[in-house]
Amino acid sequence: MTRRTTWANRMGTVVAALFLEACRGVQSALAPQGIDAERVAGLFWVMTIGAALILILVMFVTALALFGPESWRRWLSRDGIIVAGGIVFPVTTLTALLGYGFVLTSIGDSRPGGESIKIAVVGERWWWRVIYRDSAGRRIESANELRIPVGRPVEIELTSADVIHSFWAPKLAGKLDMIPGRKNVLTLMAKEAGVSRGQCAEYCGGAHALMAFYVVALPQPEFERWLAHEAEPASAPPTPQALAGMTLFAASGCGACHAIRGTPAAGAIGPDLTHVGGRLSLAAATLPNDEAAFARWIKDNQHIKPGNLMPPYGIFSDSELAAVSNYLASLR
Amino acid sequence: MTLPAAKSIAICVSAVVVTLGVGAMLFVWSGAYNVAASEQHFAVTHWLLDFVKRRSVETQSLLISAPPLDDPDLVRLGGAHYHGGCAPCHGGPGDPRNPVVQQMYPEPADLPIAAPSWTPGQLFWIAKNGLKFTGMPAWVAQNRDDEVWAVVAFLRALPKMSDAEYRRLAIGEAEAPRSGMLELAALGSRAEILSRCHRCHETESSPSANRLVPKLVGQSQAYLEMSLRNYANGLRSSGIMQPIAAELDEANLVEAAKHYAQHRSVGKMASAPLMSEKIERGRRIATAGVPEKGIPPCLACHAGKSAATFPKLEGQHAAYIVGQLRLWRRGLRDRTVQGAIMAAIAPRLTDEQIEDLAAYFESVATMQVPTEAPPPPPPAPPRAPVRRR
Repeated sequence: MTRRTTWANRMGTVVAALFLEACRGVQSALAPQGIDAERVAGLFWVMTIGAALILILVMFVTALALFGPESWRRWLSRDGIIVAGGIVFPVTTLTALLGYGFVLTSIGDSRPGGESIKIAVVGERWWWRVIYRDSAGRRIESANELRIPVGRPVEIELTSADVIHSFWAPKLAGKLDMIPGRKNVLTLMAKEAGVSRGQCAEYCGGAHALMAFYVVALPQPEFERWLAHEAEPASAPPTPQALAGMTLFAASGCGACHAIRGTPAAGAIGPDLTHVGGRLSLAAATLPNDEAAFARWIKDNQHIKPGNLMPPYGIFSDSELAAVSNYLASLR
Repeated sequence: MTLPAAKSIAICVSAVVVTLGVGAMLFVWSGAYNVAASEQHFAVTHWLLDFVKRRSVETQSLLISAPPLDDPDLVRLGGAHYHGGCAPCHGGPGDPRNPVVQQMYPEPADLPIAAPSWTPGQLFWIAKNGLKFTGMPAWVAQNRDDEVWAVVAFLRALPKMSDAEYRRLAIGEAEAPRSGMLELAALGSRAEILSRCHRCHETESSPSANRLVPKLVGQSQAYLEMSLRNYANGLRSSGIMQPIAAELDEANLVEAAKHYAQHRSVGKMASAPLMSEKIERGRRIATAGVPEKGIPPCLACHAGKSAATFPKLEGQHAAYIVGQLRLWRRGLRDRTVQGAIMAAIAPRLTDEQIEDLAAYFESVATMQVPTEAPPPPPPAPPRAPVRRR
């Protein structure tokens, strides 16, 4: 008996901890940081609490009908009560909720914060191509990470290069599908600075679960500084090792698929690596961003993310691999 | 029949069977049967063994259908392999079998005479699978049916072949002249090794060679050494190249690679720039890739400035490129680290794209002509005047 209680207690603690962690986490719709996610969270709480109250009311009335005093039971069986509780109440409640939902979903078009900025995100196999345009109209390509200014509406143009993906950054907004041959636009706005995580929310093939991203909300001036830096070509290799890595990168055909602006590498098939070392993660939020992870990915990417389009590069010796990794990590 | 009678018959039959079995075992155990190759089988044994072999081959090869076998290069490739791999036992026109081989029992078939008694499908089956208890080995690379068919193509042509024709096909047009003993001694084993390469690959005197095998001139020594090692240790499968590479010792392997890496000026074959829609399509893929299909530009790796272990493709035979890309698509070239890269890319190419690319690369004259200065760039075409409103 004691043992069972302890076990139940433990399980209870674990489950409670999971819930709390999920609420606090970088990918929780219950801890919103954007106005759209706040509305989603508000809708969730209204629905959940409303449903709970109605459930309690119905259970109470059921109990009363079964075990209550004779006079109460007779009152409950009147035609008026049946009509009120069985028809009028559900129709008004559901209509009100529907109206609330309509109002919530249509608010998105008129929002404060001035002119919106546009970011194009393309769902790939299995990563996110992210394309910014700065005020001069220059196209700035990045991958697997969105940086957005706080307090300004951001229009994210969602397309797909292959199959249906779904863009979902739970702390900022609801999810929206990325459909081949079609452009969907998701507008969101961050209320405070911070990092949150997003995820592909539509099964898109074997490594679907490894297709995630980070969203970094920055204060407006910091965002502008960052975007200006992102638009720059890659920095020159800072060390002899990185220089060796750069030479290997060029000679081994990496530039056929990857672009590093400012070098001959101009491939358009894989992620743009111009500032890859400055991102929060590698391989679409699958690996940490450090030299060891670069080395693992280059050599062993088919085990990390099976079926991804990059060939495994086993041609490098250990020192060559270290040099290439060092070079890529230096691209901040 | 009563039950006891049936029972006693059964007992008698079992006793006879057991006695025969034990007797046979005793006969085998005693060693009285003579397995000497110097003694012929009884006529009946010979007939039975032959019957078993023929029926087995006929039945096993029933569903094999032969591809087109008339390509002269296919016949030449088969011939060159035949000379090294088959002729020592099976003989060839003007190339009588060694007396040692003639003492094998069963004696290897004299193929110039015996080949026509089999259909191409049956010859393919025998060459691929070998024959038990005869000394006939199976094909080294069981997944390279394309190579086995080359041998079959040659065997079909063999019976009508003159000695000279055989020499031309099997040993090559550009056989090293029979030089004096002193010169031969100076060259040592290198000349012998290279004569094996020259059976199929290009030489100074015959730059075109066989379109089904790669041109080696202009490749880096590192690439050629790596390829030979990959063949020698079976990472790259070929029933033709594996036996040759496995026989090379380290010094000869390096020598052979160096020989081809150093000769840079031959192999310039496509002098007139051939242009066609097909070649233009291939050129676009080679230079720009097809990004939306995940196809990178070939020249990012297969051009002059890339790593030494990547092969250069300019001027390479189209038929060879097509053949290798098909091997990659079938998953037969992914066991080396270099091959694993191409194994990810080749399946993204369609048949048409493969043909276009091969045509493009073949059309590009090999660029390594060290003695000649590059031609001056053509004068820029006059600019069309900009029309203003």
